[in-house]
Amino acid sequence: MGMGMAAADCQQPCAAPPPRAVVLIVEDEILIRMLLAEALRQADFEVIEAANGDEALSVLHTSPDPDVLITDVRMPGSIDGFALAAYVRRAKPGLKVIITSGHAGPDGAIGLADAFLHKPYELSAIVARIRMLTKDDEDP
Amino acid sequence: MKTPENDGAIIALQETVLVVDDEVLVRMVIGAYLRDCGYRVIEAASADEAMLVIEQDKEGVVSVVLTDVEMPGERDGFALAQWIRQRRPGCEVILAGTPARAADAAGDLCEQGPMLSKPYEPQVVLDRIRRLLTLRRPPPR
Repeated sequence: MGMGMAAADCQQPCAAPPPRAVVLIVEDEILIRMLLAEALRQADFEVIEAANGDEALSVLHTSPDPDVLITDVRMPGSIDGFALAAYVRRAKPGLKVIITSGHAGPDGAIGLADAFLHKPYELSAIVARIRMLTKDDEDP
Repeated sequence: MKTPENDGAIIALQETVLVVDDEVLVRMVIGAYLRDCGYRVIEAASADEAMLVIEQDKEGVVSVVLTDVEMPGERDGFALAQWIRQRRPGCEVILAGTPARAADAAGDLCEQGPMLSKPYEPQVVLDRIRRLLTLRRPPPR
């Protein structure tokens, strides 16, 4: 082991960091969307922000699939959160879904979502839930 | 949506850019690019959303607003730019739109530079932001 070996080691590229999990937020209330996106980025998730179901579909049709979709239920536009979740369940079964709502109860989310959170929710609670959902994918 | 760490106020850790565009894919691309360049980016889908963000930003953390001109709703990018200039004169505004609309962006709305033509190169946006933020810093003593 000498300088030659050390020099060869310096030429090896550093191992790339593991890719961050990607979360697609679908929320029409800007201040909620902003705070949730900030909390998730600080928790080291990559975040895509959609202001309604139509925007979420644009993202899902054109971009690589995220790992988690968090969607509100009542939003302006042609598709609400339940319909968006139903589409994802059919078209992208590997994508984890969290439904949030200040109006609808959890019963409507049965079969459509991996988790349901009542609004208002604690940011730390939703971050923890996403960590659990994405950890399941990491474990062999 | 309050957390124990803040009361909903926007906390400044780095320069903050507010991107306003009704096209989610545009916001996504320029937002990711600017974050990779080290900026904190807030995304708004309309002038109304942008105004809510600015009103919430009591500390004046948002230093640059990049706004599309043509957006659905009562207010377009021009109206937003004028509102911001009255409400937050220290906040820089970059307008972006189709070349045809550039002719409309006359007078003092262009004090901070000509309107960017869409589609814009992210590097062009970055250069404009850097230039605006460099110009606003006080000179060293």
